[in-house]
Amino acid sequence: MLCALWVHAQKIDADLLRIKQRMDSVQHFSAMVTLNLDVPFIQMPTKNAEVNYQHGSGMKFASKDFVMLPKRGLDFSMNELFKHPFITVDRGTITRGGKMLKVINLIPTDGKSDLVMAVLYMDTKARHLVESEINTRKDGSYTLQMQYQPGQTLPQNVEAAFAIERLKIPLNFMGKDTKIDRKKMRSMETKTGKIKMQFRYRDVKLG
Amino acid sequence: MRGLISAEFLKLRRQSKTYYALAAVTIIELLIFITAYYQGSAILDLLLSNLRQSFYFEGTLLNGNLIMYIVLNSLWFNVPLILMIVTSSLVTDEYKDNSVQTVMLQAVKKWQFMLAKYLAAIVFTLLVMAFMMVTTFILAYSLFGNGDLVVYLGTLNFFKAPEAFQRICWAFGSGSIAMVFYSVVSVTLAVLMQESAKTWIVSALFLIITNLLLKAEFLPAQVDAVFFPKLMDTWQQLFNYEVNWHQLGFNNLLLVMYTMAFAALGIWLFQKKDIG
Repeated sequence: MLCALWVHAQKIDADLLRIKQRMDSVQHFSAMVTLNLDVPFIQMPTKNAEVNYQHGSGMKFASKDFVMLPKRGLDFSMNELFKHPFITVDRGTITRGGKMLKVINLIPTDGKSDLVMAVLYMDTKARHLVESEINTRKDGSYTLQMQYQPGQTLPQNVEAAFAIERLKIPLNFMGKDTKIDRKKMRSMETKTGKIKMQFRYRDVKLG
Repeated sequence: MRGLISAEFLKLRRQSKTYYALAAVTIIELLIFITAYYQGSAILDLLLSNLRQSFYFEGTLLNGNLIMYIVLNSLWFNVPLILMIVTSSLVTDEYKDNSVQTVMLQAVKKWQFMLAKYLAAIVFTLLVMAFMMVTTFILAYSLFGNGDLVVYLGTLNFFKAPEAFQRICWAFGSGSIAMVFYSVVSVTLAVLMQESAKTWIVSALFLIITNLLLKAEFLPAQVDAVFFPKLMDTWQQLFNYEVNWHQLGFNNLLLVMYTMAFAALGIWLFQKKDIG
């Protein structure tokens, strides 16, 4: 895939390709992940799960508890972004948390792509993707923020923020004195939800 | 007094209504299990459909704890109705058989006679609740396994399995106080009505009105806080994400006081009655 992308090298940001190459070097990892969900109409305690990643097969989760895992935000190797041809547009730099970040727009050139556009914030010095704002056709928009330990390839903290629609509550599931506040419910039709994930890596194998 | 209480328990043991009540509770449980088995996944899917757009789920929510919570919901109407029918018969049967006159001819004080009835009704109610709790625990966990509990009370509240189990146990405890209240009320209504059919109708009406008043919002806040129909959902407060233990204790204490007041009213009414 990288070879194919290099053909369009003049259109794809070199720093992005370097970060992609670095993430692709991860062959395997296992970790314990702590999940904290922050959605206005959901009260959930902190959950823990075990995650195993194998290059080419993606992440597999296991937990004794019931856990909710975000559909987006766990694609550390950026395979979803690189799935279809795209171009990048350099938008300059910004400073966040004392770090100079390079900002690029990633625009797909293939109509098959679910991605509409992504804005990526890269720490080019540390070769890390720090933040991304992703707009998709099917899954709406979401943002990802990643924090890394110095010298680490994989992020330690990942925060995914996304729009979430209000719940449809089956009547036979409601508590006896649960009141339906339609005005409040309408105001809650779409809310922003967040999930914070903290990874504690046990075994990371780089290729 | 001890003799009177023993006699009441003997009557409860011998009367077929007691076993019908236990059978009815078991049938309700079984119906809940069957419904949950066939429809539980579909209901949960509908509940969580919006979340599925953003999340993958790992683990199942259709488990013993959810079944226990659904069984607890039978405390709103089904279980109190059964209990009211059986416990009111402690008094109505005495009138029907004219045994109340026979007892009163002996050296038995009226208040002692009625107190024994109330104590028997309370113990019977607690035994039915214990039976319901134990059978549900055994069946729910053996058929559906353990797991996290999800409840909708304004927000979608998730509880880890050990915490869910604790909350369910407390809810059975708090629910038992509500059931004792209904049983005591039915005995008092039996003193007033004397006939079983009339007592059952009035008891059912009392239950329906209490349930309707629980949802009513026209009462001033001060009345709302202490009015007995508003206390009947106390057990459900254990499934709020943050439990207000102070409020919970206050509500239960208030319900115990209402129970004692209804029992005192029944004893006073019986004391005043001329047993011909």
